[in-house]
Amino acid sequence: MLQLFGNAIGQVVAISILVGAGLPALFAFGVRALAVGAGGAAEVTGEAGKPAMKIVAWLCFALVLAVIAVGLAIIISSGFGYKVSFEHVFPTFIKK
Amino acid sequence: MLLILVIGTAIAFDFTNGFHDTANAMATSIATGALKPKTAVALSAILNLVGAFLSVEVALTVTNAVVKLQTSSGAPNPELMVNNGHELLMIVFCGLIGGILWNLLTWLLGLPSSSSHALFGGLIGSTAAALGFAGVNWMGDGTKLDGVVGKVILPAFASPAVAALVATIGTWLVYRITAGVAERYAEGGFRWGQIGTASLVSLAHGTNDAQKTMGVITLGLIAYGVQTDTTTVPLWVKVACAVAIAAGTYMGGWRIIRTLGKGLVEISSPQGMAAEASSAAVILTSSHLGFALSTTHVATGSILGTGLGRRGAEVRWGVAGRMALAWLITLPAAGIVGALCFWLGDSIPGYGGPLVVFAILLGLTGWMMAHSRKSAVHAGNVNDEWHSEVKPGASVADTETVSTKA
Repeated sequence: MLQLFGNAIGQVVAISILVGAGLPALFAFGVRALAVGAGGAAEVTGEAGKPAMKIVAWLCFALVLAVIAVGLAIIISSGFGYKVSFEHVFPTFIKK
Repeated sequence: MLLILVIGTAIAFDFTNGFHDTANAMATSIATGALKPKTAVALSAILNLVGAFLSVEVALTVTNAVVKLQTSSGAPNPELMVNNGHELLMIVFCGLIGGILWNLLTWLLGLPSSSSHALFGGLIGSTAAALGFAGVNWMGDGTKLDGVVGKVILPAFASPAVAALVATIGTWLVYRITAGVAERYAEGGFRWGQIGTASLVSLAHGTNDAQKTMGVITLGLIAYGVQTDTTTVPLWVKVACAVAIAAGTYMGGWRIIRTLGKGLVEISSPQGMAAEASSAAVILTSSHLGFALSTTHVATGSILGTGLGRRGAEVRWGVAGRMALAWLITLPAAGIVGALCFWLGDSIPGYGGPLVVFAILLGLTGWMMAHSRKSAVHAGNVNDEWHSEVKPGASVADTETVSTKA
């Protein structure tokens, strides 16, 4: 019983740290890039803005949203008897 | 008639489940001002409603985790089916009452306790009263995680720790990465992250928790003999449970929202986002691996973790200790209520028994509602300054008298 439990909780810990702490970190990178992009009062140092960083920021946000969308798709589709396959790189739904 | 009482109390339980757990998703967003209190509960209610329909798993065997009322196919044990399933309906009815009363009491005390533990506790108690301790599934057969120990007790100890760990790491990373960004600027960006992650937690809650009541009601229908299909939940049951949990969420358990949002840790937007991201990740991964954790335990652990991950943040360990105590006694306390209800209801013959038990439920509910009025917490004062309070809601009452004088 304890061993089974250890295995299950170990998986939860590994995935949760990756997603639950990794995505906020990625989002934080986005916020930081946005601040560097705006410059001035957005930053503690108050340097001039670097507009190119705004693109980096929005890429970070888009990546966060994409990971969430794929995660939700995996979970919801399994409830309806489907699973998500990455065989063709882009996620596609196939029947289990 | 007993069937109608069972359905009614099941839906009532679902309602208390909703309002008890609004805090898990929305306490942090309300505390940081990312969302107005009313907007937050409305958003959470809608997502719970949607979530309830996105069934992760058919929940017909939900009671099998803790008690032996059903076979593994979902059909009730034949010996409980005599006399239109009277005995099984009584067990479920008393178990639900145990769950509701414990949910209301912890709400009155402003403590976030697990609604699923309350339900399971009630069912364990009423089953033990009816069938003896052998009727309870303590350990399963040892080949997989099962039974009270495997599905309730071990996860209850592990989940707050896992969530706290994830949230601590998340918070620490977020503060490291955004060092150098002006605080006001960062707050604005993280508010959006907070709203998004809190929405995910609400959705996950709807998919997990509404299922349990759906399973219980369908079990009642099968026991009574009006349904024979053991693989599907009737549509009206789904709709009723989804609406009940959403309505409960919209009501908002303000007392608990206050404890989680203001009492445990003074929270900022980046911390709020890290907390909800951790909760969402832990809840969704674990339930996808067929290993459902209590939303309440996870959310509380996450909020605690954000206090640990940010340098200089204060964690009120006294508040955390009271919560831990409430968690420890949730299962036995709801169990005792469930068992007492069963003994009482079973000793009075005919329909008198269930009616007396139902009357007690109504009476105690009314008493607790009236008692809560003395120090009401609502959308207007949920964010007031937290004073170390012995009585829940006491600090709100204090600030109210101060503000009326001033």
